Amino acid sequence: MKQMERAISILREYSGPEVRIMEVCGTHTHEIFRQGIRGILSPAIHMISGPGCPVCVTGTGYIDEAVWLAEKKGCTILTFGDLVRVPGSEESLQTARAKGAKVRTVYSPQDGEAYAAEHPDEECVFLSVGFETTTPSSCIAVKNAVRDGIGNFSLLTANKTMPMAYEAMKDSTDLFLYPGHVHAITGLSVPRMLADTHQVSGVCAGFTARELVTALAVAVTNFEKGGYFFVNCYPRVVREEGQPEAVRLVDSMMEPCDDLWRGIGRIEGSGMKLRQEYASYDARIRYEIPFMQGRTNSGCRCGQVLQGRIEPGQCPLFGKVCTPEHPSGACMVSSEGACSAYYLYGDHQTLL
Amino acid sequence: MCVGLSAKVVSIKGGVAIVDAGGAKKTVSSELLTDLNPGDYVMVHAGSAIAKITADDEDETDMLLEDIR
Amino acid sequence: MNDTVTLAHGAGGKQTAELIDRVFRKHFQNRYFTSDDASVLPAPAGKMAMTTDGFIVSPAFFPGGNIGKLSVCGTVNDLTCMGAKPLYMTCAFVIEEGFSMEELEQIAASMEQTAAEAGVVLVAGDTKVAGKGQADGCFITTTGIGEILDGVSTSGRFAAPGDAVIVTGDIGRHGTAILLARDDYGIEADVKTDCAPLWNPIHALLREVPGVHVIRDATRGGVGTVLYEIAHEAGVGISLEREKIPVAEEVKGVTGMLGLEPLYLACEGTMVLFVPESLTDSALRVLREQSYTAGAAVIGRVTAENSGRVIMETEIGARTYLPEPGNELLPRIC
Repeated sequence: MKQMERAISILREYSGPEVRIMEVCGTHTHEIFRQGIRGILSPAIHMISGPGCPVCVTGTGYIDEAVWLAEKKGCTILTFGDLVRVPGSEESLQTARAKGAKVRTVYSPQDGEAYAAEHPDEECVFLSVGFETTTPSSCIAVKNAVRDGIGNFSLLTANKTMPMAYEAMKDSTDLFLYPGHVHAITGLSVPRMLADTHQVSGVCAGFTARELVTALAVAVTNFEKGGYFFVNCYPRVVREEGQPEAVRLVDSMMEPCDDLWRGIGRIEGSGMKLRQEYASYDARIRYEIPFMQGRTNSGCRCGQVLQGRIEPGQCPLFGKVCTPEHPSGACMVSSEGACSAYYLYGDHQTLL
Repeated sequence: MCVGLSAKVVSIKGGVAIVDAGGAKKTVSSELLTDLNPGDYVMVHAGSAIAKITADDEDETDMLLEDIR
Repeated sequence: MNDTVTLAHGAGGKQTAELIDRVFRKHFQNRYFTSDDASVLPAPAGKMAMTTDGFIVSPAFFPGGNIGKLSVCGTVNDLTCMGAKPLYMTCAFVIEEGFSMEELEQIAASMEQTAAEAGVVLVAGDTKVAGKGQADGCFITTTGIGEILDGVSTSGRFAAPGDAVIVTGDIGRHGTAILLARDDYGIEADVKTDCAPLWNPIHALLREVPGVHVIRDATRGGVGTVLYEIAHEAGVGISLEREKIPVAEEVKGVTGMLGLEPLYLACEGTMVLFVPESLTDSALRVLREQSYTAGAAVIGRVTAENSGRVIMETEIGARTYLPEPGNELLPRIC
């Protein structure tokens, strides 16, 4: 505990130059708030909640596609719980379900495939969102479906990759708090390259209070010394080379595509879709889904929140028309979204 | 974006492992990790074991903090 | 007799009588249970408390209990929260056509057993049969009347700064047991519901430690929801210490996998008590001697500041809001 107290006092008493730290991962955002970590930071340390919550950066049009599959094609939608309440242009999966659409939450894509195998009469579509950490599971599910000869299972993909997003975000922050579980898969070459080419520094962090506090203390201490650096603060999970097996699997089944990030726009090569060989498992091809643009509340400033340009409280909708019960934007609906975290965990300043 | 939980591998067979986290057992895919054995600890995310874990977080964070003196 | 409930059992004729005889009269045998249209009961001496509650739970049977036990515990515990000794209960069943007669009898047997344990008498009942698909299995509504102990007065409004916040046992077990029983997520764990009638332990507490401010059962929405209700009702703040909140290892494992917070999961045999600071030790001593409440623990304090808010002191000594619960509980994974 002694080292922990030292880490906490480093963060409380930090008096170096002002530093912006972007936590890229939604689970980090959630844990940082849940553990009250913002409350122990010196005023010179500014946390920015970046674009790493897959629910937040998934466009409204994607929800519209899922609702369309459920309502127009009678598909059973299998999804992580995270997506159920996200508003589409007209409906969320939750409101569609209330009207009779079949929407089931599952723990994993593989469980979704198993459900499809047990329900051959249902056309099952798994909502495949997530970053590098989650994508291998979606690929395994499709691989299992091929192996088991399951013809009633497909993915509606919105899988995304982080490297291009780091590039897009690097001017919004001095430091990245890199998502440990993404780099458990992809390894550390990208963060090291970003530090080595003097673009942006960073630390790779785990998810417990102890791991987060440690990573932040290491980050600000190095930042104060000056120069560009990268430190892996999560070596018990993250290896230099990542999990090559997972990377190979994804590469063999999926290929990069341009993707739309809610509030940020199109980022070239930042999405993943199934390769041509697996087209029959791609729900867009299988059900000939028409293009859906998706409409969002025009006042919603999720995009600027995601890029760290404004704090959630600076959005005119925040806490007024946009609350976790009636979210206008994805950053409020996702429990890992910045707006939701600010709203639910409150302004830490008032508690001190 | 990536809720993970550390768990102990109870058994393993054909690319599938049963893992145990505090008595909660779940079947997950083990095919991303080569050379996994019962008794190993893994990080589990969305149905897959994504990494073999070496030490607990306390030893590791203590070592990192000693380095920044 | 058929092995499933049919619409004929709800038609009011001979088969209805058969159902009542076989299932309900058999288990609800007592001096007040009559064939007349209403039971005639002696009035309680003191003030009365009365409560009603509807129960729908899927599945109807789960580790550690079933909907029958749940429906008696729910009403007994609601009366208990007011310091009222449970006296009489009624129950109304809505049964879906096709429901297993054997299971219905098991449900009635559990109700009988739980009622006997809590010292409450089931004085009247009603049965309706709904067509297939018009109800899900078996729904039960129970109503209870209790006699408030002399001198006892509890209310959420009585929570006062300085009070200790006590939970009578580890939290979130019922919600977890139901989640596992539904088997939506393929997780296995040995978690039984905490479902239990708490009149006896709470009676012992009220007898030996007069002056308890608030007693609330942490059912739907869990302990977190109850704490917010009380913080609003009394206009106080509540400060919790995360490390002191008792949660079974298995519950931690399941909720950890699914990204759920045990504080929002239902308990059916665990209460939240607010006790003046000076009475804390004696309250804990009495509770820990009783069955069902042996795991009682202080989890926090009432504060004058942060009115209407529940504050969590985390393991690193930082303070943050406990998010105010709302909405459907959904696993957080990706």
